[in-house]
Amino acid sequence: MKAIKTVEPWALEPLEKFLAEASARLCLLTTPTGQVIAQYGFSRAVDVISAAALGAGIISSSREMAVMLEEPAFDALNHQGERHGIFLAEFSSPRGGLVVLIVYGPESSPGLVQLFFEEFVRDIDASCPPPAHQAPVLAADFEKELNDNLRTLSGGDV
Amino acid sequence: MSLVNFTSREITCKIVYYGPGRSGKTTNLQYIYGNVPEERRGKMVSLATTTERTLFFDFLPLDLGSISGFTTRFQLYTVPGQIYYAATRKLVLQGADGVVFVVDSQARQLDENINSLRDLQENLIGEGVDIRTLPIVLQYNKQDLPKDLILTQEELDQVINFRGYPSFTADARGGKGVFETLKRVSEEVLRGLAAKGPA
Amino acid sequence: MSADLQKKLEEVTRVRGVMGAMIVGAGDGLVVAESLMEGVRGNAVAALAASLFSRFGDASSASGAGAPKFIHLQADEGSLVALPGADDVIVVAVTDVGVNVGLVRLEMQRVVEAGT
Repeated sequence: MKAIKTVEPWALEPLEKFLAEASARLCLLTTPTGQVIAQYGFSRAVDVISAAALGAGIISSSREMAVMLEEPAFDALNHQGERHGIFLAEFSSPRGGLVVLIVYGPESSPGLVQLFFEEFVRDIDASCPPPAHQAPVLAADFEKELNDNLRTLSGGDV
Repeated sequence: MSLVNFTSREITCKIVYYGPGRSGKTTNLQYIYGNVPEERRGKMVSLATTTERTLFFDFLPLDLGSISGFTTRFQLYTVPGQIYYAATRKLVLQGADGVVFVVDSQARQLDENINSLRDLQENLIGEGVDIRTLPIVLQYNKQDLPKDLILTQEELDQVINFRGYPSFTADARGGKGVFETLKRVSEEVLRGLAAKGPA
Repeated sequence: MSADLQKKLEEVTRVRGVMGAMIVGAGDGLVVAESLMEGVRGNAVAALAASLFSRFGDASSASGAGAPKFIHLQADEGSLVALPGADDVIVVAVTDVGVNVGLVRLEMQRVVEAGT
């Protein structure tokens, strides 16, 4: 049973294809600041939002290390555990930089994930629409709803 | 920068709690975590040392509910305050939609506060962020300490708040001022979205 | 990678019809050493061959036949040949149609022996 959540629908098909081909368990597509754009797979493997934030932290640290070494950015990071591996990489898209975090088990391998990741990047490039100018998001009188929600959050303290 | 999806009607914004070491940044998040209904928050992640000093960041996702028809989520981060974590502070600050600067109100920490504020401004400028328009809120924490040890809000406003940011007194351990600060920075961030659209 | 092992790998590719030979990590599907002709996608073959070897291993274990000793995948325009080495590696060869599989296997076995 796959849990699918896509904030951005254009990412669904490339994610689905990638997970099937690489036999991975979970794929998160996020912004470089760790906000989840899309997820596909068994999300019970990790706390998705935390994983996205941690992945962004790892990627940004590695990017800085590469700068210090006067290297172009590292292509990808792989962590191999006993039962799971994780693969992290940042790549360019029409929407700017994106980060992918993949969790896989013994049925896959770093080589397989890396192989199909390259294809995934091409698929994302093909399916991702360019960013369009967006109208202002919120009604001017959003304060009431914000206050009501914050009151709920804080138990009435605010 | 804020992530806005018009199809699924979701907004996600990043708020960073900044400030010198031991000013109460993590305490703010811990208080929020402990006092928000479980269904409105995610797990709190703390990358800390064995002595509970923030090593890389703390992270707490909050669900603010529906605002103008958009499911609104805030991701709260803290930075490590100690001086030698300058590089990681820069990284955590990237993409921030709003900043809460947590001031340690103790008089003897004034220099640390000023240095940290300067550090924040340099990092923002380095990221190409217009510090005149980024929502920043000051929180004068530890106002519960004996009066002879701390500076008042007026004194701190005079010395630190030369840009006239909104400021709040707080005792983060007891929770005083924590949600008020969060509310104000949330308002400022969302007002920015309402005015101009997402970045 | 010892020079002797690399040399043995190159000897596999000297068999007529062999287009490439590799030593591949069985667990990670990554290339350890290679001797490939132009046009052979080493990384892709390595990852997929390792995956295939693992699946065949599961199948042969499930059937009670034990661990695979040799795999020969025959296709329209060539073959993929693999056999297990020491230290969790696989020796893989990519060949043309009509290759002498027995000879290839012999040379691949020499690679395994050089590695132990």
